[in-house]
Amino acid sequence: MLVSLPAFAEPQRFSLAEKLLFTALTIASAWAFWLRFGVVLNKILKSKKDPGFHLFPIAKRVRDFVWEVLFQAKVIRERPLAGLAHAFVFWAFCAFALVTLNHAADAFGIPFLDPAGPVSRFYFYFAAVFAAACAIGILALFIRRFLIRPKWLGEKLSWESGFIALLIFVLMVTYLASFFVADTGTSVRLLWWVHTLALLIFLPIIPHTKHLHLLLSPFTVFLSRGSFSQIPPLNGDEDFGLIAGADLTQIVSLQAYSCVECGRCTEHCPAANTGKLLNPKEIILGVRAYLNDLGPACDQPLLGKYNSQQAVFQCTTCGACEFQCPVGIEHLPILVGLRRGAVNTGAWDDNYGAKLFLNLERGSNSLGLNPAERDKFIEKQQLPIFDGTQEYCLWLGCMGGYDPKGREIVADFARIMNYLGSSYGVLRKEKCTGDPVRRLGNDLLFQQLAEANLEVLAQNKVKKIVTICPHCVRTIQEDWKEYGVPPEIEHHSEFLARFADKLPSQPAEGYGLQNEGYGLQNEGYGLQNEGDGLQNEGYGLQNEGYGLQNEGYGLQNEGYGLQNEGDGLQNEGYGLQNEGYGLQNEGYGLQNEGYGLQPVHPILPNSPGALAPDVSPSRVPQVPLLGPGNEKIVFHDPCYLGRYRNVYEEPRTVAALAGELVEAPRNRERSFCCGAGGGLTFLGEETGERVSHHRAAELVATGAQTIATACPFCNSMFRDALASTGEPAPHLLDIAQLVARSIPPANSQTR
Amino acid sequence: MKIIVAIKQVPDRDAPIRIDAAGKWIEESDLQYAMNEPDAYALEEALQLKEKHGGEVIVLSAGPESVGTTIREALAKGADRAIHIVCDDLASRDALGVARLLAEAAKQESPDLLLTGLQSEDLGLGQTGVIVAELLGLPHATLILHVEKTDTGIEVKRELEEGWFQTIQLPTPAVLTIQSGGAKLRYATLMGIKRAKMKEVKQLAAADLASATAPVVVLEQLALPRKQRSTQMLAGTPKETAAALVEKLRTEAHVL
Amino acid sequence: MSGILVVQEERGFGRNRFSQEALAAGHVLAALTGLSMETAVVGDKNTPILAETSGTPAATAYAVEHPLLNTYTSDGYVLAFEQLIRKLNPAYILFPHSYQVRDFVPRLAARFDQVLIGDVAAIEAGPSFTRQLFQGKVNARYRHRGDGPCFISIQAGAFRPDPPTAGTTTIYPFVPEIASDAIRTRPSEPFRAAAQAVDLSSAQMIVSVGRGIKNQENIALVQNLADALGAELAASRPICDNGWLPMDRQVGSSGQTIAPKLYIAAGISGAIQHVVGMKASQCIVAINKDPGAPIFEVADYGIVGDLMEVVPAITDAVKAAKQ
Repeated sequence: MLVSLPAFAEPQRFSLAEKLLFTALTIASAWAFWLRFGVVLNKILKSKKDPGFHLFPIAKRVRDFVWEVLFQAKVIRERPLAGLAHAFVFWAFCAFALVTLNHAADAFGIPFLDPAGPVSRFYFYFAAVFAAACAIGILALFIRRFLIRPKWLGEKLSWESGFIALLIFVLMVTYLASFFVADTGTSVRLLWWVHTLALLIFLPIIPHTKHLHLLLSPFTVFLSRGSFSQIPPLNGDEDFGLIAGADLTQIVSLQAYSCVECGRCTEHCPAANTGKLLNPKEIILGVRAYLNDLGPACDQPLLGKYNSQQAVFQCTTCGACEFQCPVGIEHLPILVGLRRGAVNTGAWDDNYGAKLFLNLERGSNSLGLNPAERDKFIEKQQLPIFDGTQEYCLWLGCMGGYDPKGREIVADFARIMNYLGSSYGVLRKEKCTGDPVRRLGNDLLFQQLAEANLEVLAQNKVKKIVTICPHCVRTIQEDWKEYGVPPEIEHHSEFLARFADKLPSQPAEGYGLQNEGYGLQNEGYGLQNEGDGLQNEGYGLQNEGYGLQNEGYGLQNEGYGLQNEGDGLQNEGYGLQNEGYGLQNEGYGLQNEGYGLQPVHPILPNSPGALAPDVSPSRVPQVPLLGPGNEKIVFHDPCYLGRYRNVYEEPRTVAALAGELVEAPRNRERSFCCGAGGGLTFLGEETGERVSHHRAAELVATGAQTIATACPFCNSMFRDALASTGEPAPHLLDIAQLVARSIPPANSQTR
Repeated sequence: MKIIVAIKQVPDRDAPIRIDAAGKWIEESDLQYAMNEPDAYALEEALQLKEKHGGEVIVLSAGPESVGTTIREALAKGADRAIHIVCDDLASRDALGVARLLAEAAKQESPDLLLTGLQSEDLGLGQTGVIVAELLGLPHATLILHVEKTDTGIEVKRELEEGWFQTIQLPTPAVLTIQSGGAKLRYATLMGIKRAKMKEVKQLAAADLASATAPVVVLEQLALPRKQRSTQMLAGTPKETAAALVEKLRTEAHVL
Repeated sequence: MSGILVVQEERGFGRNRFSQEALAAGHVLAALTGLSMETAVVGDKNTPILAETSGTPAATAYAVEHPLLNTYTSDGYVLAFEQLIRKLNPAYILFPHSYQVRDFVPRLAARFDQVLIGDVAAIEAGPSFTRQLFQGKVNARYRHRGDGPCFISIQAGAFRPDPPTAGTTTIYPFVPEIASDAIRTRPSEPFRAAAQAVDLSSAQMIVSVGRGIKNQENIALVQNLADALGAELAASRPICDNGWLPMDRQVGSSGQTIAPKLYIAAGISGAIQHVVGMKASQCIVAINKDPGAPIFEVADYGIVGDLMEVVPAITDAVKAAKQ
């Protein structure tokens, strides 16, 4: 009951001296605040305008703002406990808005929130809840930063963070304490002044520290570039990328000043995790330091004192940094921008990079191979040539056209397309999409490749493309937009997922429908169902007797058929032998979550109809465990399919056709890069631990028998990594290869 | 140093070559063209000399309008200006005829050095540079990997057979033909291409420089080699295959 | 104007096969044209090649002697042979297509308003001279027009040297007039590349080893082949990763890119990362146990077999051939 709760106490009257003091302090605080904030604002506004920036469509911006800022979604989701603590601090600040105003108004005798009134009282309690949560939260964060000391927050202790934590704590505690004092006397006045001083000291500190994000990050999130890894077009004949301060745009400056130094970007960076120089946080802070020291109009190079060229060229453009950033910093356009500045001017002097560029200047593919090799492959595989009449153009890409393993993936995917009766053809000539040179910042080459390819596609009247390489997908769909209108394109995982129900879901040897007797022998419809058929996560229909021998409809159902999460129909006897309709049902059929035949609704032998729900489970025979399990498959999310394209489920749908999926610790949007992206696969030796080895070890540790990939580069990187461990390694197969295993060879090439 | 680099635009190295109906030349219709790679090395050597010692690099090329793209590429990589000898009948001139054009244009410039690639990727004669030296009456050296400026002229590093090298001192002006692989080629940059747009390309008509005289060496016919480049699998016992291999390396591949 | 003059290039006793091939080409031309043949070489009458080619049908040989010709310079040789040619007035002058010939003969020919027909691989009726264009992709047949002498250089390995016949060749000395200020270039003594760093890119021949070698000790087998060939040893990445060979011997996308005349890949599967580093080699030989290894797709010659047996066999064969 409200009446028993303490009331919020405010000092009733302030003396003139106090009012004057308060006014003076407030003015001083505001002035000190502006002294620094004005400078920062000026630097941001004086930066170059962003040429490709469009405020509209505004819906996504509003949505992101509400979700990321107001709901703190990313903050919480990617680091739950710390994120939640921070969220409470933030929400408390929001909830406190009126409280703080009222607090100030009180000094002048015009408090507008009456502690006695019901609305105000409610509001005070409302704010108190948040104050408590905030106090606990800030304490927890303090302990995390100063006692637990996770390495992503940096080696040095940040005393400013400690001090600000203290101020916030004080603010909350003084507010809460005000519930427990009378509104007359010294205590309430003391609390008021302590609260006030804490506020007035906090205010000018904000623009001097990373707490600037309090003011900036809502804008940063709202004013993002609009999509993930959005590389802005170069503007005019004198724009070569981010060379000096004068090239920094308003968005970049705003983002540099928004960095809260949380280190989430670094935590997920493949380079930073394998002993490289590159640290995405330091890149952003380097830009900020440059702006602080030299400002946006300076012509001193950005790479040199403030950031190193070497670090910038260690980036695989995996996007984990940009994806993780809770304040909306877009690292990728900045990194690519810095690379552009070095490459477009010839300042980047790297043997392998030059070789890649020279290969593409003269030739058609990034590997520097004779295009006749691709022709030979097409001929050998009897791939149909695209002539404008087919539905799909199958884009081979450099790996699919020239790399032996990439070619195997293409060959298997083509087999699947033949099996499905898809209408497709390959182009006679392809040039590299330009992905590696785009990410390395060579705009001259990229433009040449994009324009040449767009012309060929238009001439050939290509409307839809499907390809095995996520880099091709991304580059064609997004990056080529700068130079024309690319056709629709999808990745083969999306294509295959659409046709998943038409693909044979035969698991590899020893799993699923494994039996030594008759298995699903029947003379009716066998496993006819309209749901997922023999979908299971355990052993499926493993038996050594007759399994599902019946002469009726077998497992005819309209639900999941034999959906189970245990061992399915594991038996050593006759299993479900019947002469009626067998397991005809319209529910989930044999849905169970234990072992053997322990259904939710037990089935009796020979029952031609539905289920007998009141048969107690103990009447159903227990089936003992038997033999080895399904092939465990771990799917590695490619950066350019996952984070770049938000495609996570489709490749899993496809991989699940072949076995039992297990997940790597870092999966989906947290997937750890294979190390090939950003053009790095074409550059020389890495320093430190190899990214591919680091990730391969993680995948192997899941205990999976097979590593499934959906990108020929990931495939290539892991192949090398697994080969060098010297131990027997899991199978390494593309999802197309997994599915193609089950396709009868008769459905292969000739059409 | 004032350096002229004579470059040639040739069909792309990896292009499949088809012989035309008359059997006298190749089908040019769907060919891509590029800068002759040894000439790219000559250009690189010239640019490095300019970067070290100052001066000017002038690109010189003879051919039809389409040669303009290769000239612009050279300008984009750092040459200061270009001379384009517009000539549509280059194929009807022999090496002496072509060299006469280049020598006349070069004479007007009085360069300290004239560099060109060792040989072209299409005809592969390897003579044009040497003939130009003769026509200009200048000393020359071939198969050069590296050029250094000295007080008396230049010192060059020349490749000899079987892994030997030698250095040669020459006075300038001189003509050098440059071997591939000596320097590290630079890649074309956006900045280079943008700047190239403002560089001068002087066009000269071939007829004004040297009229075409009847060639002394005439190409009669082209034919595809009977043995196409394919993998020959050698079978037999190790001793047999080894012997067969050595024989083929000697007589077919001419590498032993 | 008459006769065929074959200009030979002395390289040392037992190393004059190239010039002998040029002589053989001369014979073919002589047979086609009915012209007689003479030879010339820079050196005195004791120059070894004169003895080696004595008796083969060239009745006359000229020993071109001059102190300023002791070291090769293009100025010296051009002047000397210009004078010899003006004296002998041959219809055809043949040379081996050596680096030296490529250096001076175009100048020499220009003095006669002629163009050298270089790197000739076949001489046929006409006479017509066949050489390759577009890096060996096309054969081109050329004819010589006009009155002047025809300069030809012969491709290495295109003609088989004739066995010596009985008879002697008369050697005449020829002393050209060369002023000392006519020689404008000063060449140094030849030297080999510095031995410290492994520079695979300058190696003419490379023998490369891959995972098929199985263990470090077996690399000696491949080293023997390399030594026999006078080739450099290289490796694919896994070998260098294991530390069996130093990193600077790595060929491939993360190692060196090379284009030697001869590349022998022993026990290398041909993964793309390796192939991009060596695909430009002029002649590629692959030895691998697996007939489906991708390396065979880029090889000119392939041997499916156990490299432990094949490599030593090739080493023996190479040594035998060099004798």
